[in-house]
Amino acid sequence: MNGLAVHAHNLCKRYGTFEAVRGIDFDIARQECFGFLGVNGAGKTSTMKMIYCRTTKTSGQLDVLGMDAATHPREIKQRIGVVTQDNALDPELTAAENVMLYAAFFGIRGTAARERCAELLHLMNLEGKERSRIAELSGGMKRRVAIARALVNDPEMLVLDEPTTGLDPQARLAVWQLLLGFRERGITLVLTSHYMEEAARLCDRLVIMDEGRILAEGTPRELIAQYAADDVLELHAVDLSRAPLDGSVRRREQHGDITYLYNDDNTALLARLAQLSIESTRHVARPATLEDVFLNLTGRELTD
Amino acid sequence: MSPLVALFHRNSWNVFRRDFMAWQKYAFSSVAINIFEPMAWFLAIGFGLGAYLTLGKSSLIQFIAPGMLGLAALNAATFDACWGAYERLNFNGVYESMVTAPVDPLEIAGGEYLWQAFRATLYGAIFLVVIAGFGLVHSWWALLSLPLLALCGILFAMPGLAVAFMVKTQEHLFYYFSFVTTPMSMIGGVFFPLDKLPHWLQAIAWCTPLYHCVNIFRALVNGQLHPGLLGDLAWLVVVMALLAYLPVPFLRNKLAR
Ligand SMILES: Nc1ncnc2c1ncn2[C@@H]1O[C@H](COP(=O)(O)OP(=O)(O)OP(=O)(O)O)[C@@H](O)[C@H]1O
Ligand SMILES: [Mg+2]
Repeated sequence: MNGLAVHAHNLCKRYGTFEAVRGIDFDIARQECFGFLGVNGAGKTSTMKMIYCRTTKTSGQLDVLGMDAATHPREIKQRIGVVTQDNALDPELTAAENVMLYAAFFGIRGTAARERCAELLHLMNLEGKERSRIAELSGGMKRRVAIARALVNDPEMLVLDEPTTGLDPQARLAVWQLLLGFRERGITLVLTSHYMEEAARLCDRLVIMDEGRILAEGTPRELIAQYAADDVLELHAVDLSRAPLDGSVRRREQHGDITYLYNDDNTALLARLAQLSIESTRHVARPATLEDVFLNLTGRELTD
Repeated sequence: MSPLVALFHRNSWNVFRRDFMAWQKYAFSSVAINIFEPMAWFLAIGFGLGAYLTLGKSSLIQFIAPGMLGLAALNAATFDACWGAYERLNFNGVYESMVTAPVDPLEIAGGEYLWQAFRATLYGAIFLVVIAGFGLVHSWWALLSLPLLALCGILFAMPGLAVAFMVKTQEHLFYYFSFVTTPMSMIGGVFFPLDKLPHWLQAIAWCTPLYHCVNIFRALVNGQLHPGLLGDLAWLVVVMALLAYLPVPFLRNKLAR
């Protein structure tokens, strides 16, 4: 099993005249966890939909598991698992019926289907909920049913569109543990997320998208090093315009009242500020995170 | 490839199974709702109006009874092909999840045809039992109504599904009911013979599938078979083959968004 899980080159998706994905390149290796981050409307779901062959690309190249997504959708679907952003569970069926019906579409029927269904619902901690209708389940349970369903064909790759959106911290943690378990077992994971902490924990590599383009790509660590720094010092209502800090501050951002100073060592920077008698009414000293990378790249303001 | 071939694809039977599983949960109310209203029409017009009218040697109720089989097939298939399939496509994510599995929209259409065949056969069969109870069935040939009901279910599902997959909002489905199925059920030869209608209206009636299937139902129930029925059957089969593919491009288009 060598080669790439997904290869995209100059991939575009247009809806009518609107360009949702504007020529992106990325490669996803087998057995890695690859994340897509981006603001609402960045084009993440559109990209996922092309990967799981729900919609076809407008132009460019897209290979999934070594097959052209445009010409081999059935073969690709046979080997991947999909969790869509909205679960797409059948509300008129029970949890078990949802899983069993899906199994039937992969040619798994009868006893084999029942066993597989029981096994997956057990894995997802859904015992006792087999006969509950989807409408009777909580958001986290629905998510887990959707994940159970996606695993029914023992997929080589899982595509998950915002797997933990809307879940409480416990449920989110449970999904993270599951996904890390899948990664251990060698399943390629492709996911989108709005949670930087989640991406930092789960993803081997990730891209940050904005307006249909990829702004940055790398491991979480690389991205932090490149687009942020080791530390961040947030200062409230200070005037730094004449402070000679250039040597110790790698990058400076102003957002309303707050000044963000990206630097290599908060302790040293705080000492230097004290020397210059610059006092902030309030400050936050913390290590830089993926969140800073994201906000630096996509802007701190809410656009559109 | 036409969905008529895809009818026998494994996935189409799974789509059928899905609809059946969902229906099972409210089967009783579904049957009651689908039977009560047409039954009321049948009894009111057949016995009420029929008391004042005779059609040559036959009574009005004897005329209407087999026509109700055609009407049952039309309503059973149309109602669910329109409202039901619209919801399965747009609200419930039923088809959306199917196409993340290796299922083609063609097979979904095939599965829906099978499902509407089932509905038409079931609701038609209930009517057959009822009219038999009133002593209005005169031949064992009437049993052949069952496969014909299935065929009609598939045929009526085709334009119904096409409309459901085409319209932008659910309200637009009413256009189809008001402009197509309701007028068709009035002039399709269910309630009165067409020979006294103006010629142009007769010509329109001849163009509706309901007219041809009601012709056959009437002959089967009365046990008066004649070679002309083969023409009606041929008409139904040809139209079915022509319409079979109609809903698929609309569904494919909606699901590729
Ligand atoms: N079926 C569609 N028809 C027309 N425009 C669409 C369609 N789907 C998405 N878009 C547009 O494409 C853009 C990208 O949408 P997409 O769903 O890929 O974003 P996203 O990154 O997943 O956003 P979110 O974080 O909100 O889920 C948006 O501007 C959206 O309005
Ligand atoms: Mg999205």
